Parts: sequence; structure tokens; C-alpha cells
Amino acid sequence: MKNNIKKPGLILACLILLMGILAGCGSSSDTAGGSSDQNQGSSSAEGEFKGTVKVGGLFDITGATGDVGEPYARGEEAFVEYINSKGGVNGYKIELIGEDYGYKIPEAQKLYTRFKSKEKVSAILGWGTGDTEALRQQVAADKIPFFSASYSENLKNIEESPYNFLTAASYSDQARSVLKWIKDNHEGGTPKVALIYNDTPFGKSPIEDAKNFAAEIGVDIVDEQIVDLKALDATSQLLNMKKKNPDYAIIQETWGATATILKDAKKLGIETQFIGLNWATGEGLIPLAQDAAEGFIGVVTHAFPYEDLPGMAEVKEYLESKGETLESKDQKFIQGWVTAKILAEGIRLAGDDLSGEGIRKGIEQIQNLDLGGLAAPVTFGPDDHAGTNQIRLARVENGKFEVFTDYIGY
Amino acid sequence: MRNPFVMECGEFRASYKEDMALYKIPRVRYRVYAIIAFFAVFPLIFPEYYVGLATLCGIAAIGAIGLNILTGFTGLISIGVGAFLGVGGYTSAILTTKLGLSFWISFPLAGIVTAAVGALFGIPSLRLKGLYLAMATLAAQVIILFVISHWDSLTGGTAGMVLQRPSIGGYMLSSETGYYYLMFVILIFTAIFAMNLFRSRTGRAFVAVRDRDLAAEVMGINLFKYKVLAFAVSSFFVGIAGALLGHYTMIVSPELYSIQVSIEYLAMILVGGLGSVMGSIYGAVFITLLPVVLRGLIETLSVFMPGLEGVFAGLREVVFGAIIILFLIYEPEGLAKMWRNLKDYFKLWPFSY
Repeated sequence: MKNNIKKPGLILACLILLMGILAGCGSSSDTAGGSSDQNQGSSSAEGEFKGTVKVGGLFDITGATGDVGEPYARGEEAFVEYINSKGGVNGYKIELIGEDYGYKIPEAQKLYTRFKSKEKVSAILGWGTGDTEALRQQVAADKIPFFSASYSENLKNIEESPYNFLTAASYSDQARSVLKWIKDNHEGGTPKVALIYNDTPFGKSPIEDAKNFAAEIGVDIVDEQIVDLKALDATSQLLNMKKKNPDYAIIQETWGATATILKDAKKLGIETQFIGLNWATGEGLIPLAQDAAEGFIGVVTHAFPYEDLPGMAEVKEYLESKGETLESKDQKFIQGWVTAKILAEGIRLAGDDLSGEGIRKGIEQIQNLDLGGLAAPVTFGPDDHAGTNQIRLARVENGKFEVFTDYIGY
Repeated sequence: MRNPFVMECGEFRASYKEDMALYKIPRVRYRVYAIIAFFAVFPLIFPEYYVGLATLCGIAAIGAIGLNILTGFTGLISIGVGAFLGVGGYTSAILTTKLGLSFWISFPLAGIVTAAVGALFGIPSLRLKGLYLAMATLAAQVIILFVISHWDSLTGGTAGMVLQRPSIGGYMLSSETGYYYLMFVILIFTAIFAMNLFRSRTGRAFVAVRDRDLAAEVMGINLFKYKVLAFAVSSFFVGIAGALLGHYTMIVSPELYSIQVSIEYLAMILVGGLGSVMGSIYGAVFITLLPVVLRGLIETLSVFMPGLEGVFAGLREVVFGAIIILFLIYEPEGLAKMWRNLKDYFKLWPFSY
């Protein structure tokens, strides 16, 4: 009997060894596999390229933030395919080597090592707060410009993160702009504001700055509540908040927790005007919160696909060439598109110096880049890696975000 | 022809020294030297990418050996490894950036501080066993991470801290190869220490505690002392791994030490083999490389079957879970036991009985 048990173990061991051998061979050919897929769209223009610029992509498709990470990644891929079909940048083809890291930092670390050592990428399009934070020292040492969808204020520190760029208003700037808007539009006395956030680097990022700015411009922060990102109940926090009776509450959460807060607030009959920062805003919130979302104000850093904007024309052109429509896409797709577009502009300004350092210099030359309304115009400089502090605000009306301000700052 | 796998025939030990040797047969000893020599020249042969992966595997192996001392040898389960890695990383970060100490001083200190913290959280282990101890160490994980992310003045809060790569005699270990050798030396030291530990009185006491703690106490082993000592020794190595990882990624932030990391380390020793030093290394390599290998496999297959990539992306987690279940069912003693089985099989081949 004992021997019967041993044999499957042996077979398993052999299988695992075999898998290892297969993959060892496989990993050497995967670049060829990846790029041949991407070439298909632009095979006619194949011979015209002067060379290739490799860009690494850390995507979250399957991880905790996959719901928003997937369209964002598709947006980046779409733009790269679009620009290559237009002849690339300065005659160079952009090759985006995107991989899913499942929102796991050790995974991101391994992919980063691969991008740096094996693929020799010149820039990286990252994703979350965790991976951006974990890699910011390494990209600085290896001189690889890094764009991500984490708009954390400490990435602005050029001494510590010389190769990180913020392509939209940082969370702190968003909060400041919202506070400024509250101050300008509030009627009757000093506005009272509450802050609702989660106890993570993402959640706590804008809080200190928001409090300091509020004190500066004369807005009272009357309450702070912590609601977990995965919370399904926020009643006790909202009851505590209700005692302070704030006029406004700024939410720094993702869709799930925001929907929980809005639904519980409706149940408890709270009259406070809720204002969410950019990750609380988006199409995904509406089905979760349903009619509780009505009247919710969200910070919009990137345009919705249903908006009529000049920049939307090329997105539409690309999607139509693929037999898709704008209606099937969401705001995170546009966000990815815009991020890749800003990087492409940096590569264009870098000219023929396509090293990481060259591209950094190129990005730093970007002045008031017009994104056709898809996002606020961005400007970078050698000592300023925050592209903009401008945002728009949108209110949910009849189950749809309707933008009601122009780009505003503080 | 003489069976090449049979090498234990006619083997006699004439002294206690020979009887105590780690590797009793000269040929096995040479094989170990050959393996060490291979990994010593590894970075000179292979491209940088593989050296980077090997460094990550090695750092994980140091932590896994640490955890195995506690869980595999002493039988005390801990799900606080992630946080203990954090203690090591943060101690080194604070000592080097705030106090300006050199890496070579702060690195062992990181191990000692983690050992102290580990021993502190090990105190309940005298009264708690099994699941209850798991909950107590889970509390350690939560408490330590809470302290790290809220003690802003010391740890920089959620923003984390920035570290430097160490330098040796004016030469910065900034390249993958340089850091690989640092990891390699420490891994060898850790492995030799752990192997020797279980030939000593202390190590045997650990094993006795694991097998039956009541019986161990009857035999005169001070349970409290040895349980806390196991936590301290184990945490020392976990802390050292944490400091190494911190200086490798050059950043420490609370996000890097979540409960997921703890579970990954438990998976390493489970897959590698509980109570086996070499098993910890196999397991660490296996779990670290599993996603890399799977990704490579999927990419190779998707050349022949386009569209497979999307399906497999979600399947990765499933494979991870399935492998752990398969190990639990078919080989609870892990990769180390599989390797032994394989050797035994060939030793008797072709006559298995």
C-alpha cells in the first residue's frame, strides 16, 4: 500500500520538473510571442520603423483592483496600438510589454527585474500605490521613468522619486481643489467638512494635506471617519459623523466602499453632500449604489467616453477600426489611453535619445500638452513631476455622471 | 555494472566524529561542494534577469528556513512572518537612515531586534497550541503592521522609508551580481547554522517539544524557555531576510508585509517539507518561481493557441491552490521527501524489494 502512495508523488515530481524545463525554454521565446501579437495591427507599416522603444506595463487584471485595472490596461494597450498604426513616435515603434501582476508586490518586483534586465525597457507604465511605492527607489537607481495610476503626494518629492511622474492631479491636490470649490460655492457661514477614508497608504495619502489646506482657507474639518475598503456596513461611522452634522463629506475610497457609504447614508437620512475623489468616481459606482448615488459629486480627472470632446475623435477612430464602440468603454479606459499618450509625447520630445534618462528629459520638456479635453493639460519640468492640479467635478443625475465644472484648481 | 546510485555499501564509521558528520559519504560531500561551486559562479554564467530571480529566491529561502525552525521543527505555527519581515526591514531602515549606522552593523541588529519582538509574541505559545497559537500570531501580524503604519515619526507612516544598498570597502553592491553574493553568503551561513542546530541539545529539545510537549517536559526540557527560544531563533532569520529584502528593493512600506506574505511563506515550508532545512530552500524556490514559470508556460502555449492568455490569467491562482492541495494529499512532507523517494527508488533499482 505504501508504495502506491509513493508513485503518484514520483509522477508529480516528474511532471513538475518537466514543467520547469518547458517553461525554461518558454521564457526565452516569450518576447517573440508577445511582440508578434502586437505586430498584427500594424504589419503593413512594419518596414518603416527606425527602431523600437520598449515600454514595460504592470497591469492588474486578476488582482484586488482588477475591476478598474483591466480597462486601464486595455486603454494603454489601445493607445500604443493606435500610435503604431499611425507610424509610431518619431518613426520609432512603441512596444508595450504588459504583464498582469495581480496586485501583488513580490510579483511586481519580479516583473520589474525582468523588464529591467531582460527586456531592457526604457520606461514603465505601472498601476497601484503598492507597486509604485515599492519600485520608486529602484526606478530611480536604474533611471527608468515610471508612470502610474497612483496619484500619491509623496511621489511629488523629486529628491526621493526622481523618475516618477504624476499624470493627473495628486490625491492631495484633488482634495485641495474640492475644498476650494466648497469654500467658493458654499452659502451661509463657514462650511463644515468631514473626511471619510480607509486606513491604507492610498486612503491616508491626502488627509494631512487636506486638513492643512482647510485650516489655511477657512473651512472647518469637523470629523474624520475610517471606513475599510471592503466594508459592507458603514452605519456606525455615519451615525458618529451625523452628530457633527457636516455640510460636506469628502470620500477617499474605491467604488465598493463609496457605494456602501452612500447607501447607508440614504438609509439613515443623512443630508450631507458627499464628494468622492477620483477612485470613488466612475461608471462602476452607479450599479453598486443605484439610486443612493443620485446627487453624489465626484472628482473627474479623466473624461467619460460619452462626453463630446475633441480628444475623443482618435479613440473613436481606433475603436471603430476594431469594430468596437465608445459605449462599450469606460472612464478607466480613457485614463489608460491618456497615460500612454503622455508617455508617447515624452518619447517624441526625447528625440533619438531613447534611454530612460533621455525619455525623462523628454517628459520634462512637456509644456501644456493639450489632451483634447480627455484630461487636464499637463506640464512637467526638471523640478516638477506633477503634471497638473486641475480637476473637474461631476454630479450623478439620473444614473449618469454629468460634468458641471470646467477644469478647476486651487 | 555497479549501480551508480548505490554508495552506502561497505560504509563504516570508525569514530564519533565521522558518525556526526553532516554528509557522511565522501561522494555526497563532493556533490554538495559541486552544487555550492555551481551557485558561486551562477551570476557569471547566467544573464542578469536570472541572477535577480535567484536573489529573490535566496532571500525567501532564508526567511523560510527561519519559519521552518519554528513551525517545522518546533511545531509552533506562526502566521506573523510577514510582519516579522517588516520588523527586520524597518529596523535596518531606521538604523541606517535615522542613526546613520553602517549596513554591516544594522543588519545583525535587525535580526536581534526581530528576535526580541518574536520572543515577545512567542510568550503566549506556552499556553496556546495549534489554531489558538495561529490566532495569537495573527494578532502579532495585525499589531505590528498597525504600529508600523501609525508611528509616523519613526517609520514614516504609510509612505514608507527609503534605504540604500550596502557598500563593502567603497564598492556599492548596487548590481544584481553584487547583491546575489551577499545573499549567497548569508544563505549558506543560515543553512549551515540550521543544519547544525538540530544536531545540538537545543535543536533536539525543539524536536522533542514538537513531537510531544508533555513528554518533553517530563524529560526535563524547560518548555517555556525552549518555545520562546524557538520564536527568537526563527524570528532572527526572518528579520535578517526582511533586512536583506528591504535593502534589495531599497524601500520599506507597510504594503509589502501584508498577511499574504505570511501565507506565501507558510506555503513555502509546506511545499518544501516541514522540518527540513533543504526543503525550505526547495519550497522557497518553488513558490517564488511558480508564477514566473506559469507565465512562461502560458506565453509559450499562446503562440500555438491564441487567446489562451486571457483564460489562463485567472487560472494562476487556481493552480497555486491546486498545487498546495496536491502536496497536502500526496506528499505532506514536501519536495524534500520527494527527492528522498527518488533517491531511494534508484538505490534499489531494478529490484525494488
